[in-house]
Amino acid sequence: MKRAMISVLLALSVAMAGAQDFKAMLREIDSLGDFGGQDFTATYTIVSEKPGQKPETVQVRVYRRDERDQFVFLFLKPERQKGQGYLKVDDNVWFYDPESGEFAKSTIKESVQDSEARNSDLSRMSYADDYDIEKSSEGKLGAYDVWILELVSKDSEVSWQRVRLYVRKDKPLVLKEEDFSVSGRLMRTVSFPPSYISAGGKQIPSRILIVDEINTGEKSQLTLSDVAVGRLPDDTFTESFLKRAR
Amino acid sequence: MQTAMLAFRNLSRQKRRSVLLGGAIAFGVMIVTLIDGFAGAFVDNVSENFSNLLAGHVFVEGVEKSPKGRDLEIIRDDLALREAAEAAGIEAMYVSRRSGLQGSFKFAGRTATLRVQGVDFAAETFLAERLALASGSLENLPRDGIVIPEPIADKLGVVIGDRLLVTTRTYSGQQNVGEFAVAAVIKDPGILGSVSAYAGRDYVNELLDLAPDEYQALSFYLPSLKGMDEAGDRLHAEVSSRLQAFERKAPGAEGENPILAMMRGEDEETWTGVKYRVTTLNDALAQVQQIVDVLDTASLVILLVLFLIIMVGITNTFRIIMYERIREIGTMRAVGMQRGQVRGLFLYEALFLALGGAVAGLAVASLVMLGVGLIDFGLDSPLFLILRNGHMSFRLDWARVAGKVAIVAFLTLAAAFFPARSAAKLDPAVALRTAV
Repeated sequence: MKRAMISVLLALSVAMAGAQDFKAMLREIDSLGDFGGQDFTATYTIVSEKPGQKPETVQVRVYRRDERDQFVFLFLKPERQKGQGYLKVDDNVWFYDPESGEFAKSTIKESVQDSEARNSDLSRMSYADDYDIEKSSEGKLGAYDVWILELVSKDSEVSWQRVRLYVRKDKPLVLKEEDFSVSGRLMRTVSFPPSYISAGGKQIPSRILIVDEINTGEKSQLTLSDVAVGRLPDDTFTESFLKRAR
Repeated sequence: MQTAMLAFRNLSRQKRRSVLLGGAIAFGVMIVTLIDGFAGAFVDNVSENFSNLLAGHVFVEGVEKSPKGRDLEIIRDDLALREAAEAAGIEAMYVSRRSGLQGSFKFAGRTATLRVQGVDFAAETFLAERLALASGSLENLPRDGIVIPEPIADKLGVVIGDRLLVTTRTYSGQQNVGEFAVAAVIKDPGILGSVSAYAGRDYVNELLDLAPDEYQALSFYLPSLKGMDEAGDRLHAEVSSRLQAFERKAPGAEGENPILAMMRGEDEETWTGVKYRVTTLNDALAQVQQIVDVLDTASLVILLVLFLIIMVGITNTFRIIMYERIREIGTMRAVGMQRGQVRGLFLYEALFLALGGAVAGLAVASLVMLGVGLIDFGLDSPLFLILRNGHMSFRLDWARVAGKVAIVAFLTLAAAFFPARSAAKLDPAVALRTAV
């Protein structure tokens, strides 16, 4: 009896230790995309494909100040959208249209110019803050041994209620993310091919492939370039920056 | 009186000229009356059609501040709202509780964006009477059944029984996917096509991640359009005394829709729990009143422009009349007619022309309105928003009509005044000597 009790306690402690590790793993993943006191700048080139249509290219210059959870997205391409942008101040996201000169309320859940990418894909996010780990398992993705983490949102304020993450076992790097609807249906798959850019002492994926699982054949590829980490002028995260940026 | 009789006789003597001048005046009056009649019915028709679409005249919506400061549209418990409505004396023909989702609908590779009203078909029995079905039925609607407008059905290439995939968001903005079965197709509702889909509230709530007894908008359908603002004010006062409520009218920018102004103000406010917004159809359709104001101004401008042109004709014609009758004027003056009477003679003629033209114009306009009103444009007409049961309708404000007739009379008299004055100033001896 005593031996059985010890076995159960041991198993429980291992399981608890495992759960704590995964939580720590999520925090490590988050820290790779969080530049804290340093500002992050990069250009995202998003090529979107839809069946029967020519591929469309959108280019966005992203400015992030993660310590204050602020961002500015400035559209560089296509020409008709040049100068448009998003600004996040406090909890509000605003869309700026230079044609009207007006700011309209938007959300981080909006898709980026009809692509499969959402504003949240370009901004800082936190798996650890937003999700609880419901289940974990081991698996293999291509040549990589991975942890498969099933996450459930802590509240209803994130885009996806359920997320499945495929995390490399050797490093806390996400290789694939599957996003599910509230009804439990797979809506999109986000792949992070293992090619990375080093910036600010962190490794960030240089390419992201987003596949729409509802609309067959629709996908977007995000490619990062001109990545820089360093303090930006404070007025970068203001309305006037977007107004004069065109 | 004698002068008036003489004036009338003069007009009768020159029938062709009188008919032409009076006809010009009648034409101007007819155009302006038609515009006035159209503008008069415009607000009523648009309001009536929108009240059918929105299932009410007075609305209450709940806005809950999320922990992260986002505004979520939800009414969780309406007991206090129902008590407020009773205390406010809202006598509604129907009370509706609706939820709504905006979704991207897909079928066989085709996509259409549509707003779906989640309704309780068992409670909203009037909906069945108002929806003009092209195919299918509202009876025995399955839980995931949907009623879509004809253009959307055509765009997606669906028929009754087909299943549509919809991607949408929950009330808090999370991504969701569902499936609807096409149960009925309604005739083309024109510009409202993208907001004229209906489905059972239970299933819409499931997709919105709302509980079955929760919803987003409480609507009161009043017996008539009149008094809706007063009803809204009373309900707002009662809701405010029981629950958190937004100001009835937010200070908005010039020309801004009152509801949009109110919602803009909400962004800047912070509160906890649910706060209620009370609005009326008139708030939603504030821009429609602006269209009517534009139509009223246009009607007045058209009246003035037309009559400036007509005035030139009247002035010239009366000048000719004066020269034609110069010896007659001399004779009348020689036998004792005073200058004022000569001037009055001309002015009476002008007044009779104006009144005759106005009456004829009103009569023709009435006939045109009657004729156009008989045409059945159908409920699927793209114009349906401004129609009443598929027919064009007109409503005249008789005080405005009287005002316009007064303007016509004044302008005609002004046009005839100078020739009349010249005629009155004629020296009888000179007039008698003049050969015409």
